[in-house]
Amino acid sequence: MAELAALPMAGAVAEDRIAVATQWQLIWWRFRKHKLAVFGTIVLIAFYLVALFADFFAYVDPTESEAQRSLIAPQPIHWIDEGSFKPYVYALKGARDPLTFKRVYVPDTSKKIPIIFFGRGEPWQVLGFIPSDRHLIAVEGAKPSESLFLLGTDTHGRDLWSRLMYATRTSMTIGLVSVALSLVLGVVLGGISGYFGGAVDTIIQRIIEILRSIPTIPLWMGLAAALPADWSVVQVYFAITIIISLIGWTELARVVRGRFISLKQEDFVMAAELLGCSKSRIIFRHMVPSFISHIIAATTLAVPAIIISETALSFLGLGLRPPAISWGVLLQDAQNIQALVISPWLLLPSFAVIIAVLAFNFMGDGIRDAADPYL
Amino acid sequence: MKSMRSARVQVGLALIAALAMGSEAAVAQTATPAPAKIGSSLIGKLEGPEIILDAKVFPKTFKDAPILAEQVKAGKLPAVDKRLPEPSQLFVVKPLREIGKYGGNWRRAFTGPADHENGNRINSLDKILTFDYTGTKIIPSLARDWKVSDDGKTTTIFLRKGAKWSDGTPFTANDFMFWYQDIYLNKNINPTPFFEFQINGKDGVMKKIDDYTVAFEFPEPYPFFVSQLAGSTAIGGGFATRGGFQNFGGAYAPAHYLKQFLPKYSSEEAATKKAKDLGFDSWVSLLKNRYSWALNNELPVMTPWKTVSAINTPTWSMERNPYFWAVDTAGNQLPYIDRITMTLAENTEVANLRAIAGEYDIQERHMGLAKLPVFLENAKKGNYTVHLDPALNGSDATIHIGNSYEGDPEIAKLLRNKDFRHALALGIDRDQLNEAFWLGVGTPGSVAPAPDTIYSPGPEWNKKWGVLDLKQANELLDKVGLAKKDADGYRLRTDGKGRLRLELVTVGGQFVPYTPVGEMIKQQWKKIGIDLDVKELERNLAFTRDNGNENQMIAWANDGSEMIYLFPRHALPVDAAESHMGMAYAKWYASRGAAGKKPEDPEMLRAFDLFRSAMGASEEDRVKNAKELWRIIVEQTWSIGTVGQSPAVMGVRIVKNNMGNVPERQVNAQHARTPHSSMPITFYFK
Amino acid sequence: MVAYIVRRLMLAVLTVWAISVLSFMIIHLPPGDYVTSYIASMSASGSAVSEGEAAALREQLGLDKPITVQYVKWMGLILQGNFGMAMEWGRPVSDVIGDRLTLTMVISVAAIIFTWGIALPIGIYSAVYPYSFLDYAFTLIGFIGLAIPGFLLALVVMYVGFAYFGANVGGLFSPDFIEAPWSLEKVWDLTKHLPIPAIVLGVAGTAQLIRIMRSNLLDELRKPYVMTARARGLSEYRVIMRYPVRVALNPFVSTIGYLLPYVVSGSIIVSLVLSLPTVGPLLLKALIAQDMFLAGTIILLLGVMTVIGTLLSDLLLMWVDPRIRFGAE
Repeated sequence: MAELAALPMAGAVAEDRIAVATQWQLIWWRFRKHKLAVFGTIVLIAFYLVALFADFFAYVDPTESEAQRSLIAPQPIHWIDEGSFKPYVYALKGARDPLTFKRVYVPDTSKKIPIIFFGRGEPWQVLGFIPSDRHLIAVEGAKPSESLFLLGTDTHGRDLWSRLMYATRTSMTIGLVSVALSLVLGVVLGGISGYFGGAVDTIIQRIIEILRSIPTIPLWMGLAAALPADWSVVQVYFAITIIISLIGWTELARVVRGRFISLKQEDFVMAAELLGCSKSRIIFRHMVPSFISHIIAATTLAVPAIIISETALSFLGLGLRPPAISWGVLLQDAQNIQALVISPWLLLPSFAVIIAVLAFNFMGDGIRDAADPYL
Repeated sequence: MKSMRSARVQVGLALIAALAMGSEAAVAQTATPAPAKIGSSLIGKLEGPEIILDAKVFPKTFKDAPILAEQVKAGKLPAVDKRLPEPSQLFVVKPLREIGKYGGNWRRAFTGPADHENGNRINSLDKILTFDYTGTKIIPSLARDWKVSDDGKTTTIFLRKGAKWSDGTPFTANDFMFWYQDIYLNKNINPTPFFEFQINGKDGVMKKIDDYTVAFEFPEPYPFFVSQLAGSTAIGGGFATRGGFQNFGGAYAPAHYLKQFLPKYSSEEAATKKAKDLGFDSWVSLLKNRYSWALNNELPVMTPWKTVSAINTPTWSMERNPYFWAVDTAGNQLPYIDRITMTLAENTEVANLRAIAGEYDIQERHMGLAKLPVFLENAKKGNYTVHLDPALNGSDATIHIGNSYEGDPEIAKLLRNKDFRHALALGIDRDQLNEAFWLGVGTPGSVAPAPDTIYSPGPEWNKKWGVLDLKQANELLDKVGLAKKDADGYRLRTDGKGRLRLELVTVGGQFVPYTPVGEMIKQQWKKIGIDLDVKELERNLAFTRDNGNENQMIAWANDGSEMIYLFPRHALPVDAAESHMGMAYAKWYASRGAAGKKPEDPEMLRAFDLFRSAMGASEEDRVKNAKELWRIIVEQTWSIGTVGQSPAVMGVRIVKNNMGNVPERQVNAQHARTPHSSMPITFYFK
Repeated sequence: MVAYIVRRLMLAVLTVWAISVLSFMIIHLPPGDYVTSYIASMSASGSAVSEGEAAALREQLGLDKPITVQYVKWMGLILQGNFGMAMEWGRPVSDVIGDRLTLTMVISVAAIIFTWGIALPIGIYSAVYPYSFLDYAFTLIGFIGLAIPGFLLALVVMYVGFAYFGANVGGLFSPDFIEAPWSLEKVWDLTKHLPIPAIVLGVAGTAQLIRIMRSNLLDELRKPYVMTARARGLSEYRVIMRYPVRVALNPFVSTIGYLLPYVVSGSIIVSLVLSLPTVGPLLLKALIAQDMFLAGTIILLLGVMTVIGTLLSDLLLMWVDPRIRFGAE
C-alpha cells in the first residue's frame, strides 16, 4: 500500500478517500501513476480516433491509382514561405529513367501548392451520415491526388498516407470481436473447468489440448479455401478470426482454471456456498471479480497478438488481401528487395504496427499492475 | 564515380525533361508511342549457335574435357572417339562466338523438388527433334534426321549410329520399342494414350525399321507430328523431361536399366517385393521414382549433364555425361561446363537477393522484373550483366472469361455476349498497367502473339480490341442493355437484382502480379460503370474452381499460345487438364463430344474445327488456319489481353561477365525450352 | 501418482488419435488435391501436364479413392512405422522430415538459448531496480522486439547483412559446405550462420519473458522472507539469487513443455524469409501442394509434441508445486 500514500492528496483526507473508494477508483489511481501506461493509452485513443474518422485524416481516395505517380518518395513540406508560416509543397513531374528503370520525380520549384489544415477536400460522411468536406490536410488550387504525397506513393501510384489512415481503421478493429469471443469462452469454460473439477475438468482439458495442437496456419489455409467464395475478403477474414477465436480461448481458459483452483480454497467462496448461493452466482458474482483485472490485462495483451498475426498471415497470402486495406496488406508491398532498396517508404506502416503493439502492451501492463491486489 | 553519377543524373534529367514535355500527350487516352522503347538498351540482338548438318565438314579428330581425359588415362573410361557416335553421325554445333574452354561449375538457384523444369530446360537436347535458336526452325536433336512419307501418315526418324547411353550401353531403336511395348502400352503404367500420339482419336503405332530407324505410323495423315516431336510434348519432349515427374513420356527409355523394375522380366511378386523393400507401395511407384533423372542418379540418360545429387536434397547438382553425342566444330566433345550446381532457395526473394550478390552464373528463372532497378544498381558490384528477353505471347496477365460459367444466369448471359466482352476489353488502360507493373517494358495489346511469329495474323490484330476507348466501351454496354446506373455510377443488372458486380479471380505470389493488375483494372472499369470484385485465391483453389466452371473471370497467363498447336490451352478451351476459359467446353472437345458441354457460340465451334483439322493438314494450310484461328480468337475476345511480349516471365537474365558464348538475346518461349535453344552445352567460363 | 500418470498416458493416446483425424480433415478442407496443385504449379512455371498424365497420376497416388479409405490407409502405414511417400519429393516422408528435423531443433534451441539468456538476466535486473531508467530502457527494447513483425525484421537483417557485411544471403551454410559431409569445419560454419536466425527468432519472445520474470520476481521480492534474509546480513546477491529467483523460475519450468512443438517446427515465416532448411517451410509447401502424407505427418508430429509437452508441463508443475499435487486431482 506504500504507493497509495504517495497519492496527490496526502494525509487523513487521502486515507478517508481511499477507504471509501471503489475498486475501480483504486485501480484508476494506481494506473495514472504508470507513465508509460498512460502514454500508451493516449496513443491508442489517438489510433482509434483515426480509425473512426479515417476519411477526415486522409486526403485522397486510397484506391485511386495512377501509374504516372508510381513510387513517389515522401514529399517534404516547406513550412516557411517568404518569412511567414505558410506551409506548401512543390508540384512534381516524373518519368522513368531509361538507364536505371527507376521512376524519377523532380520538384517544379516554380509551382508552390499551399497546404491548408482543416481545409476542404473530397466530401465524406461523419459517422456515416453527417456530410462534410473538411479534411485534416488539404491543398489549395490543385487536386490533392495530383499534388500531395506526404508519405509517398506505392507501385499503383496510390497515396500511402491516406491508405495508412484507412488501414488503421481496419487493423485496429478487426481483431476486437475475435478477442471478445475468446474472452467469453475462456472465462466461462475455464471457470467451469476449474470450479467443478473432476470429469468435467478432464474433458475440457483434453479438448483444450486437442485444439491447441492444431497448428493455425494449416487450419487457416483449409478454412480460407472452404468458406464460400462469394464472400468478400473482409467477410472471409472475419469468419476465420471467429473460428480461430474458438480455438484461441484455450490460453485464457487455462489461466482462469488455475486461478479458480486456487480460489476454490478461499474462505469467501466457502462462505458463499454455505449461504446457499447458486453455483453460477458464486462463479460470476464472487470469484470472477477477484481476478477480472487479470482478465482485462490478458485481453488487452491479446489484441496486439492479433495485429501481429494479421501481418504475418498477410505475408503468407492468407490474411487480409487486396483490395482490403490493412497494415498487413500495406506491408505485403514492402516485403521484397526492391522495396527495401528503391522505395523504403513502403515500410512505414510497420511503424504503425510497432507503435500500436507497444501502446497496447504498455496499457495492458499498466492495467495489470494497477489491478493486481497483491502488488 | 561521383562525376559519372552526376553525368548520369544530367542525362536522366534531360531525358525526363524531354519526356515531361511529351508526358502530357503520353498520359492521355489512347496510346501514342513513346520515342525510344524503354528497356531497349537491355534487349540485345537475337542470336544463337548454328547446328552443322553437312557431314562432309564434320571434324575428324576429337578431344575431351580434362577431367574425363584423366579417367581415360586411369583406365576407367574408353577413349573419347570410342565414346562418341560414329564421326558422320555426330551432332555438331558451331558455338556462337568462339570455341570454348573446358571446366567450371555453373551455379544456379532452384526452389525445391517441384522445380525440375529448371534443370529440364537446360538439359533438353535429348528431345527427338528441337527448335533452333530463333524458335522457328525445326532441327534434329537426338535423332539425326527425319522423313515424312508422301501421304503424311508415317514419320520416320533416324538415330545416330554409335550413340551410347551415359553408362556406355549402345542407344538403339530397341530403346524405343521397349518404351512403346513395355511402358506406353502397359495399362498399369500408362492408362491413357497420349493425345499427341493420336490423329482424330485414332492411335498411332511405333515400328522398328532397323537398329537405328524408328517409324511412327498413323491411320490418317498427320504431318504435324513432326512438330510434336520437336515441341515440349509428351511424346517428343525427351526422356529426361517427360520421364519420371511427367509420367513416362519421351518415346524411348533405357531398356537395359529399367527392365529390373518390371514384373514382365521377373514376376509380379518379385517386382512388388522389391518396391516394398525400398519403401514404395507398388512396383509402379518404384518404377516412377527410378524413371526420373532428377531423383535417380543411377539412371542412364542421353542428356549433356546427369544428376549427381538429387533434386530432393538441398543441392541439385549435375556433372557432365562422358558419352554425350555432340562436339563443336573443332571436335571438342561437348558440353564445356563440367558441373551445374543448383542451391535451394526456400523463397524466390532469397534467390533474387543471391543473384544480386553475384552468387549465380547464369540465371533467368525466378528473377523478377520488378527488381530490375536493383539488379542494375548492383550489376557492377556483382560483376554481371542484365539481359531482357521478351516473350512472344500477347499478354502476360490475361483476363480469361469463364465462357462456360453458369453460376449466375445474368452474368453468364453477359459473358457470352461478344459486345460485353469487347466493352470490358476497351475499358482497360493498358499503358497504365504497363508503366506500373511492367516498368514500361511490356507491349500493351490483345492476346494475339508477337507480329513476327509464324502464326501472327498481322500487327493490327495486336491492337484490335486491345486499346483504351471509353466512349465505345460505354456505348457497347448501353447497347447490351446495361444503360441504367445507380447513384454511384455503376450499371444495374437487367434482372432487377441491383448493381451488376463482376468477379475476377486472381492468384498471388506468381511471377506476374495478377492481383495488383486486377486492382488497377477495378479502378479503371469504374469509368465504364462496371463494379469489379477482385478475389485473390490460393492457386489450387483457383484451378479447382476453373475445373468446376465456377470462375466468372480469372487472371492468368497466356504463355505458349504463340505456338497455338503445340500449346493451345491458354488460347482456346481444348485441353481437359487445364482450361481457364471454359472447362466444360474443353472436356467436350477433348472427349469428342462424349463429356462436357457443347458450346453454343458458332464461332467457338468453328475455332474447334479449325484447330482439329490442323493436325492432319499440310504446313501451308496449318499456318493459314492458325492465322484464321487467331483472327477469330481476337475478334471474339474470349480472353482479354493486357500487356505482353515482355520479359516478365523468365525474361530477366543475369549473366556473369566471365561467361562465354551467351547470346545477347534468346528466344523466350515454351516450345523452345528456353534456355535450351541457346545451346547451354556451348556456354563456357572464360 | 502412478495411476495418474498411466491415466494421462492413455488419454494422451486418445488425444493423438483425435488430432490425427482432425489434421487429415484440415488438409482435405481445400478443394482439389495434389494433382490439381501439380498442374497449377506446372502451369505457373510455363509447362503443361496433359490430361492423360493427370489421370494416371491420380490413379497411381490413390487420390481418386474416398477420403475415409485414404485415412485408413495412412493410419495403417503409420502403425507399421511408415509415414507414406511425400508426393512432391518422391521420397519417404520420414526421410524428408528427418533431414530437416535435426537442423530445425538446432536453430530452435539456439533461439531459445538466446531468448532465455538475454531475457532472464534483464528480467532479474528490472525486478531488482524497478522503475529505474534501465528498467524502462530494457522494457522498451524488449517490446520493440515483440512489436516488429518477424518476417520484416528477417528481410531487413538479411539485406543489411548482405549489403554491408558481405554475409551469405539466408540459409544455414556457406555454399561450399551445403553438400559436404559433417566435419568440424562444417559445424563451425553452421555456428557462424546461427546468430542471425537465432536473434530474429528469439527477439519476439524476449519481451514476454522479461516481463513475466520481472513480475514474478517482484512478487517474490516483496515477501517477508526476503526482508528477513537481508536483515540476517546475507549479501544482496545471495538474497536475490538464492531463493526468490528460483521460485520466480518455477512457472517457467512448467512452460518448458510447451516449447516442444516449437522446437520441432521452428517458425514457418521467418524460416521462409531466411531460407532456413527447417520443417516450417516444408509444412507450408506441403500444404500448398496438398501433399497429403507429408503435411499430415508434420501436423501429426506437432500434435504429438504438444501432447507430450503438456504432459511434461503438468508433471513438472506437480513436482514443483505440491499444492496442485494434493489439491486438484
